[in-house]
Amino acid sequence: MAKKMSGVLGLWSDESKVLVAARKVREAGFKKFDAITPYPVHGMEEAVGIKRSGIPWVTFGAGLLGGVLGLYFQYWVASVDWPINIGGKPFFSLPAFIPVTFETTVLFAALFSVAAMILVNGLPAVNPKILDPDLTSHKFAILIPNNDVGYSQGKVEDLLKELGADEVRLFYDY
Amino acid sequence: MASGVQKPTLGKLEISKSAKGLFAIFMFVGLLTFLIGLTVDRERIWHSYLTSFFYFASLGLGGLFFTAIQHVSKAGWSVNVRRVAEAMAVFVPIAFIGAIVLGFGGHALYEWMDSSIVANDHLLQKKAAYLNPGFFYTRLVLFFVIWWLFTKFIVGNSVKQDVSGDEKLTLKNLPLSVAFILIFALSYSLFSVDTLMSLLPHWFSTIFGVYCFSGLFQSSLAMLILLLVWLMDKGLLNGFVGEDHLHDLAKLLKGFTVFYAYIAFSQFMLIWYANIPEETEYYLQRAHGGWYYVSLSLLIFKFIVPFIALLPRWAKRNRDYLKIVCWLILIMQYVDIYWMVYPNFNEHHITFSIWEIGVFLGFLGLFLKIVTAFLSRNNLVPIKDPRIEESLHHHVTY
Repeated sequence: MAKKMSGVLGLWSDESKVLVAARKVREAGFKKFDAITPYPVHGMEEAVGIKRSGIPWVTFGAGLLGGVLGLYFQYWVASVDWPINIGGKPFFSLPAFIPVTFETTVLFAALFSVAAMILVNGLPAVNPKILDPDLTSHKFAILIPNNDVGYSQGKVEDLLKELGADEVRLFYDY
Repeated sequence: MASGVQKPTLGKLEISKSAKGLFAIFMFVGLLTFLIGLTVDRERIWHSYLTSFFYFASLGLGGLFFTAIQHVSKAGWSVNVRRVAEAMAVFVPIAFIGAIVLGFGGHALYEWMDSSIVANDHLLQKKAAYLNPGFFYTRLVLFFVIWWLFTKFIVGNSVKQDVSGDEKLTLKNLPLSVAFILIFALSYSLFSVDTLMSLLPHWFSTIFGVYCFSGLFQSSLAMLILLLVWLMDKGLLNGFVGEDHLHDLAKLLKGFTVFYAYIAFSQFMLIWYANIPEETEYYLQRAHGGWYYVSLSLLIFKFIVPFIALLPRWAKRNRDYLKIVCWLILIMQYVDIYWMVYPNFNEHHITFSIWEIGVFLGFLGLFLKIVTAFLSRNNLVPIKDPRIEESLHHHVTY
């Protein structure tokens, strides 16, 4: 959502209707449209056709990286740079290094996941445009941008009305 | 599932004659092995009995524990899978009988029961206030009576609700479950200390009870998923239990796989680090000869492999794939208990043969008979539970 978009927006006040509408809009061939709801609506991601996020891969990779770095750092400190005999144990004593390795794994995985999430969502978005104040309490919207496949203003307006939207209007620069 | 396109149709479990016959054969083989073993190799058969008894008693208790958590957390999503967990819990009264039988093997298993050994062992004399046969049997019976009563009431209320639909029964199960979880934490810890840890009476680990619990819950979830998949493959739970329920159960399974590793490593690392002879004894036995590889197999096949196998989303939603992972975990749970029991008596070599397999099959037959009989007697889902709607529409987002 980095780029600003304009197009047509439809408003619903019924959760079940907007879910059906979203599916119909997708079946009509639109790809870039989005739905805005005040709370998570079950089945919406499927109806809109949102793919799974790639963030789990970031988490996995970052976790792996954190684990390797954490373990290597301990190895370097304890057996290369400043070896100290602790309780007669070998300089490289794997069991003693596991807790820190675990912690760096979790730390890297968590921090990189949050960072990736912020990046992907374009946060922090200061002062975003408000499409309709009711969208945070009791209304549901479907947005079809004008650069979507097979977009024509009249056709889209008719489709949204046909799907039972309470209100259909244009939006700019969202 | 979310759109509710599929109309839920609840099947009725019919156990085929061949399945019943198979369970009977298993039980017969178990009994035969046990009886022959008693005359041929008395000590060995009791080791084997203890291992299998602990395995299945834990599975039963795991079912009850899972049920109790759902009541305490007032969970809606799990209503449709709860009946199968309750079926596992029904094994607890049977395990009670198993515990009484175990009592007869006490002298073959526990050296602290032998008064001639205790007379020459200062440490065991100090521990005698707790580790003495009378108190041991009292505890064993007491724990099973308590667990049996909780099973009777918690599962009983749920079954009663199927007929009456009385919502008060759900409310009644809440305080019962809270009480059970609190008592279970203490009693199961002591139960594992009594039956397994005292095999090596000089040794102690304060985390031992939690270690056994981690195995209990991991294996119980695996058994629960296997039973559910079995029922789903028969088409008996259409519309009631779907991928989304399996997904959440598999998440729990993955979580408790990590929990197992966490507890196992905590126990090992503190003992390894402190390096005090009276504590390292346990791990020394398990770090030499063939036992080293058994120890290593626990790390690899009870944690690393299932953990990685359960990481992807699709893995938690694919029945056939889940089956393999659950089988692996259930096998490794046996290896885990075997690993806790056997090295105490066979320090230098691994012994595994018909004596172990036979007794295990006996318990397996009994367990499956009890579980399937309960499931065929009752509805496969608590159909009149007030929270069932939530479970019918359960949906896991990305």
